[in-house]
Amino acid sequence: MASVSAASVAFRALSKPPLKSNETSRLKIVSLGWRKNGFPSLRSSRLHVSCAQAKPETVDKVCEIVRKQLALPAEADLTPESKFSAIGADSLDTVEIVMALEEEFGISVEEESSQNITTVQEAADLIEKLVQKKPEA
Amino acid sequence: MGGGNAPRRLSGMQKQVLALYRGFLRAARSKSPDDRRRIDSVVSSEFRRNAHQVDRKNFLYIEYLLRRGKKQLDQLKSPDTTGLSSLSFAPPSQSVGSHK
Repeated sequence: MASVSAASVAFRALSKPPLKSNETSRLKIVSLGWRKNGFPSLRSSRLHVSCAQAKPETVDKVCEIVRKQLALPAEADLTPESKFSAIGADSLDTVEIVMALEEEFGISVEEESSQNITTVQEAADLIEKLVQKKPEA
Repeated sequence: MGGGNAPRRLSGMQKQVLALYRGFLRAARSKSPDDRRRIDSVVSSEFRRNAHQVDRKNFLYIEYLLRRGKKQLDQLKSPDTTGLSSLSFAPPSQSVGSHK
């Protein structure tokens, strides 16, 4: 039942590019549920949508924290697409980054999802999702 | 959830190490800011040192380090513990500073 109502939300969202952030957030959570139930064809669309997703403030904040955590020089290039590995972060750094993000945003990132984060954008998307799940955690 | 798009696959052992590292950093959060900074730096340098020095195929030794680390983490989680100095972790080359 849940997935049926979810489907209508998602399709509406997908067919109309200009979205309110509330709508998109629902879409993200919903399609995650789908992933569990196994709708492989939808997986790519989720990723596509969530790429254009996290608010710029979130992305900026993530960038700032990543810079601080890795002690990157101010002139170093850091875009949302930057891979952590490309900017010199090893897996331990990634753990530190995720921990710092958790504290900054007052969220708790699950072990498994944190290991799948490889870019600033992915981190920002995940944060956005978690922040919306529990507003004042 | 199997996030099937992760480009880098971590081995089970690597995941254990990262989980342990996360555990240490989490435990350190509950300490005073000063203790925490000290713990963070000791833990971070210890993990990094072993990451560079230990042969990644030396499973027995890594397992030993994991077990040892878990015990140390349990001790650290106790509210009475304020530092890791009792574990004499710090490499001799690096003076971590004040000991308690």
